[in-house]
Amino acid sequence: MTASLPDPPPVRGRVLDARLHLLDRQVLDLEGQPVTTVDDLELADLQHGERREAEPPTISALISGPILTTRLFGGRTPRTRLHRIAWDQVTEIDIVLTLGVPGDALEVTWFERWLAEHVIGRIPGGRHAPD
Amino acid sequence: MKGVLGLALGVLTAIGGFVDIGDLVTSSVVGSRFGLTLVWVIVVGVVGICVFAQMSGRVAAISGRATFEIIRERLGARVGFANLAASFLINLMTLTAEVGGIALSLQLATSIQPTFWIPVAAVAVWLVIWRVKFSLLENVTGLLGLALVVFAVAVFLLHPDWKALGGQLLLQSPSQGSETPATYWYFAVALFGSAMTPYEVFFFSSGAIEEHWTPKDLGQSRINVLIGFPLGGVLSIAISVTAAVVLLPQQIQVTSLSQVLLPVAQAGGTIAVIVALLGFVAATFGAALETTLSSGYSLAQYFGWPWGKFRPPAKAARFHLTMIIGLVIGAGVLLTGVDPVQITEYSVVFSAIALPLTYLPILIIANDHDYMGDQVNGRATNLVGLVFLGIITIASIAAIPLMIVSAAGS
Repeated sequence: MTASLPDPPPVRGRVLDARLHLLDRQVLDLEGQPVTTVDDLELADLQHGERREAEPPTISALISGPILTTRLFGGRTPRTRLHRIAWDQVTEIDIVLTLGVPGDALEVTWFERWLAEHVIGRIPGGRHAPD
Repeated sequence: MKGVLGLALGVLTAIGGFVDIGDLVTSSVVGSRFGLTLVWVIVVGVVGICVFAQMSGRVAAISGRATFEIIRERLGARVGFANLAASFLINLMTLTAEVGGIALSLQLATSIQPTFWIPVAAVAVWLVIWRVKFSLLENVTGLLGLALVVFAVAVFLLHPDWKALGGQLLLQSPSQGSETPATYWYFAVALFGSAMTPYEVFFFSSGAIEEHWTPKDLGQSRINVLIGFPLGGVLSIAISVTAAVVLLPQQIQVTSLSQVLLPVAQAGGTIAVIVALLGFVAATFGAALETTLSSGYSLAQYFGWPWGKFRPPAKAARFHLTMIIGLVIGAGVLLTGVDPVQITEYSVVFSAIALPLTYLPILIIANDHDYMGDQVNGRATNLVGLVFLGIITIASIAAIPLMIVSAAGS
């Protein structure tokens, strides 16, 4: 038996497997600081759960935050509660995704910033690295 | 010269840092009930922790990814979350046991009630994590933990019948009539869990990133692990031997930390007891730091939060909040009056159950060229890794049935 597999269809650029290369990967900001993990992806022109086989999908944003709960336990997150990071802010895809913007400017880091300012930063010594 | 000193420091720290409350209690319990018939488990466990600590450190140094980032990337959000929930709870249990261990050791040293020492210990652990540099906290507790060498000295001072001890080493059905095979294997799993506790891997791989390891540091880390851990295991064995020599013939069952100390007291008197207590405090305090940090590491890495002691706490706010909550829960549980020794006995068995959750993803990533480039596992490492994955899986599956059949070893 020497029958070989059919050749894969020709593609331009790099083939990414959304599950393997994007979902659940760490996202770093411009300075290499952790921002979040990719909890879900938003596909342009595709509704939740819709499938289209003919053309490759276009990713419009990374989604993080409360969406993780629905990925784990089912259900749907209201649109207003999605924390989106626009796809055009992604500058590099490797074993981590790197953004071209500082993490502090993103909606997804609000709780970290709130906690730092109102709780952890208020405890003496909270704003200096240990020495 | 600095190189040699650094090397020696690393090895000594690894020896002193190896033993925690789980090893102290389990080794002593096993020695007092089964003599040396279970020592082979410590040897197997030490080889296992060497293989996997070394592998996780290598993955961290080369790919820059710590264990829980890898667990989530490989297992996905759902299975990764189930893994996180299990690992986090078991780690919290170990954290509680370690803080309890500090309190019990300080009680033995001062005769002041543990209810006083529990909050003191929790706050002290938090303060050290809050303000002390990573390398300093690791080295100080590791070096002070070397005081446990007193157990090895005690073995010689007790002038045991070496021939009879040697005879117990061979695998055999338990010689004491009252112990059933189920109990024997239950304690084998517990001892295995105490040597291979998952938090050691979270801590080791995250520590590699805390200390900004590069592939160049791997030589040092290999020496630390391959010399330090086995010598740490020797301390565990020494604790078992002292219990086998002194406690077993008198049928004393270890149910408290003071009984772990008895053989040392008989061998070396007050001074030996003081040294051993210093070792207890250092070992449990060091492990309390490691488990507290591990609770923060695992959660932060799963969710992609900033973490690490190299950042100011305000730059890793959720990481620090997690650790504070972990310590509050641990101290709260202890203040209800539960016995830390019993928590320890359960925590090592649950650790054994959770082992495959941690070790499988590491083994997979260590073979992934995207992460490791050309530094993927060699055939020999993979062979040993797979053999251990088999052992770990068997121990994990057998743990609960054994727990039921042996009524948790009672």
